[in-house]
Amino acid sequence: MNWSTVATAMLPEHMLLAGVVVLMLQAIFGRARAVPMLALAFVLAAALAALWLYAEGVRAAPFAGQFSIDPQAAVAKALILALAAPVMLMAREQFADSTPFGVLMLSSLYGVCLMLSADSFLTLFMGLELMSLPLYALVLLAYRRADGAEAALKYLIMGGAASTTLLMGMSLLFGATGSLALSAFPAALGQFGDTGSATGMLATGGITLFIAALFLKAAVVPFHGWAPDAYEGASVPVTAYMSTLVKAGVLLAAVRLFADSAVPALLVGLIVALPLASIVWGNLAAIRQASFRRMIAYSSIAHAGYLFLAFLGAPAGRFQAVAFYAVTYALANLLAFAALPRLAAEAASDRIDSLRGLYARSPFGALMLGLAMLSLAGIPPLPGFVAKFLVFSNVMAAGHVLVATLGLVASYLGIYFYLRVIQYAFMGASETVAPAVRGPAIAAAVLCLLPVALLMLFPAALLGRLA
Amino acid sequence: MFDPTVLAGALNLVLWLPLAAMLALLVIDRDDAIRHFSLGVMLAQLLLVAVLYLSFDARDPGLQFETRVPWIPAWGVHYHIALDGYNVLLVALTAFLGPLVVAGAFSAVTKDVRLFYAMVLLIQFAMIGTFVAQDLFLFYIFWEAMLIPMFLIIGIWGGERRIYATLKFVLYTAAGSILMLAAMIYLVWSLYSTTGITSFAFADLYRSQLTLEVQTILLAAFGLSFAIKVPMVPFHTWLPDAHVEAPTAGSVILAGVLLKMGTYGFLKIGFPLFPDATALLAPAIMVLAVLAIIYGACLALVQTDIKKIVAYSSISHLGYVMLGLISLDLLGIQGAILQMVSHGLVAGGLFLMIGMIYERCHTRELAAYGGLAKILPVYSVFFAILTLASIGLPTTSGFTGEFLVLLGAFAAAWPAYQQGEVLPLAMAVGAVSGVVLGAMYMLWFAQRFLFGAVRVPQAHGHEPGGSHASVIADLNGRERAILVALAAAIFWLGLFPAEPLRKTELAAQQYQQLVSTPRAAPAQAPAQAMAAGGEEAR
Repeated sequence: MNWSTVATAMLPEHMLLAGVVVLMLQAIFGRARAVPMLALAFVLAAALAALWLYAEGVRAAPFAGQFSIDPQAAVAKALILALAAPVMLMAREQFADSTPFGVLMLSSLYGVCLMLSADSFLTLFMGLELMSLPLYALVLLAYRRADGAEAALKYLIMGGAASTTLLMGMSLLFGATGSLALSAFPAALGQFGDTGSATGMLATGGITLFIAALFLKAAVVPFHGWAPDAYEGASVPVTAYMSTLVKAGVLLAAVRLFADSAVPALLVGLIVALPLASIVWGNLAAIRQASFRRMIAYSSIAHAGYLFLAFLGAPAGRFQAVAFYAVTYALANLLAFAALPRLAAEAASDRIDSLRGLYARSPFGALMLGLAMLSLAGIPPLPGFVAKFLVFSNVMAAGHVLVATLGLVASYLGIYFYLRVIQYAFMGASETVAPAVRGPAIAAAVLCLLPVALLMLFPAALLGRLA
Repeated sequence: MFDPTVLAGALNLVLWLPLAAMLALLVIDRDDAIRHFSLGVMLAQLLLVAVLYLSFDARDPGLQFETRVPWIPAWGVHYHIALDGYNVLLVALTAFLGPLVVAGAFSAVTKDVRLFYAMVLLIQFAMIGTFVAQDLFLFYIFWEAMLIPMFLIIGIWGGERRIYATLKFVLYTAAGSILMLAAMIYLVWSLYSTTGITSFAFADLYRSQLTLEVQTILLAAFGLSFAIKVPMVPFHTWLPDAHVEAPTAGSVILAGVLLKMGTYGFLKIGFPLFPDATALLAPAIMVLAVLAIIYGACLALVQTDIKKIVAYSSISHLGYVMLGLISLDLLGIQGAILQMVSHGLVAGGLFLMIGMIYERCHTRELAAYGGLAKILPVYSVFFAILTLASIGLPTTSGFTGEFLVLLGAFAAAWPAYQQGEVLPLAMAVGAVSGVVLGAMYMLWFAQRFLFGAVRVPQAHGHEPGGSHASVIADLNGRERAILVALAAAIFWLGLFPAEPLRKTELAAQQYQQLVSTPRAAPAQAPAQAMAAGGEEAR
């Protein structure tokens, strides 16, 4: 262990840790003020640090066998940390004096970063837990609604189930390969479905449990039940964070887990069936929702499906596809949440109905919301389309023509409910008199809008860097 | 006349000007300023297109005023736009209708004026882009980008059932688009796996070699998307709803340009990319085309809503375009292209005129009108001109297009008949009956609308029994200017079709050659395939 390597290679993590410490000191020695903005500063510093690691092409393992950094991990961290900036801006007013919000948020991000650099099952597990535990509290934070507690509890129990499933999977894989290194996973993939030998059985069971845990964390059908409740129960910034960055973190960690190995033929069925079911069910169930956040939850269930389908593509293009998709998806979701009008009563502002006539009240908010919905629906020229195209062309190029076609057809189901939001915002007569979108929300929206516009005109700029 | 790079720049300007203008609308405040600014932009675009049209070299079979820049290099996607014989007339049509649409909406649209003109400019951008794109990826993006502005135009400024109509329009169109996307990915991937080229350029895709089976599936997927847009029977049910509920500007854009996207798709992509499948499916396509001609005409005959009459007549007229394209006869193909332009002018004009009367009387019920010729002489003259052009009277554009298509259909059917194939001839004869039906419904419509006892719906706020002249005024200067421009274009195409036809001749030959040369994978030597698709080989 080389301390200077620890200092540089873990710079993004250090920045987040420093943020946690500063926020706590602020609460101890003074009055908690402008917490999200302070957190924002540290998040941006961490993002810049990650960007620097990427630009320098740093490859180092400060804790050999546990934690390492390479350009791919660095760019993933940079993207996720940068995407956390709008979340902080959205929280500026609601959580202005809430030290727990800042600390929990930074800790959770620390967990994401840890996952993305994990070299062993232990680090991966630690990262996953560090990401999830603060979330259970965040769901409850500053929320006065009765079902907020229920949502948090549901999330906690499902999260606990995911953790135990993951641990069980790890133990089985340890039994099969005798190793806790992350590379044990791709090694075991080769033995997947080999029911003739004891190690084959262990590997099969371990990988299945591993994937089930990932599906649980990313809310893939049939492990999705917690998402609508948790999303609806939490406050807007937390929902925005959960539905985008947490999902992106889990998926990118999964990419790291699969490394260079293709999905074995026997596993393809699992990776096809559940994500496809996820796309279909997510898109269909979203149509019936009256709550905006529940709708976004089902939409995110569908998007988790697309993201996992990307694993069928050639391993070389997997990171690019998942990362690009996750970024465009997260941007669109964050844009939508930032543009959402805030009403005095949170429950009322969550009804899709309350978006009626939004264009008349707040043209800017309505336009942002519209763009976000179109990007989520994958309608060109918005970046969501390029992402979907990338995923499905990878899947098709890997020979899964039928899967790609079915996936695209299933994505058609989703167009209606995204358009319905636009229909309400632009074509409905205004019922409520709601305040226009406020300053920080506009800042957050612009922060998302700019990259959306750039990705629309120059998708190759990001695609090239992820390749 | 001008330097080629200047002209290429002008084409880029034609494409991007509406988008830039749309963004500029953000800072323009007064409604009137927005209207005049939009009109100015459209006129500037028309001027640029006129320069390009005049500089277009009819003897050059390749791409002209070309811009080709890598856009997503890893996928072989280029920002590649150019004019060629396929699109030059359609770009001209789009640019020509632009100012008319904008001016036509001056008094009709009073709600959310800024958003309205932003959407009109956006759809203008997307339509021009769809035509000039020489890269399938770019084509698809523009194709889809047309969806949203139209969704809003119908949904915000439409009639009573606008939400239903606009959702139906979008969901129909998007269903086709999704299949087209899947087919496009497969097509490009198979091009890569057979030739090692990653490219979306049409010129490269024309060289793809696919088995008949794959071609058929892909043609079905692309074809469905185009057939919905045309619309071909039985995928036409969205059209009457969309047309009836859309505001005038929406109807004009829809009938004038958007429907041509479907036939243009067949012309540029569907048939030339999959020649063997086209040969296989030609009888079915022919039957559907003639079915559309006759069925559309019959439906138009029984409508009581004046907008619906024109909507169903569109289905009928676009059947001719499909018939001409599938006849693979040079005259038929050129006639089809001309018919696209002519229908754009005539149907666009009819919708504009219906909009003008609707603004005055607020009803589209045919039974409420009668004898307009007596009280609105100027209106009636223009309406009669458009009616006759729609029927295809000689000296109007409708005649040239339809006549060439029928000529081509017979020219292609006769040799087939001599070899014992009856179907093409039967279809050609069937198409002629469509001309008769067309005359029936349009003349009957005009007769009930313009002649007979004077009957005018009372506009709100007027006492029943008041003098008719005080109830509705004849056309004002703006409206007259719009219609004079339209009528001039219609007669110009009818009297001097040789000049525009010359511009499309080489493209029609290219298309004919591409579609009639078999290219199924195992049967074809590579050298021949190169000859078939190699006109634009780089």
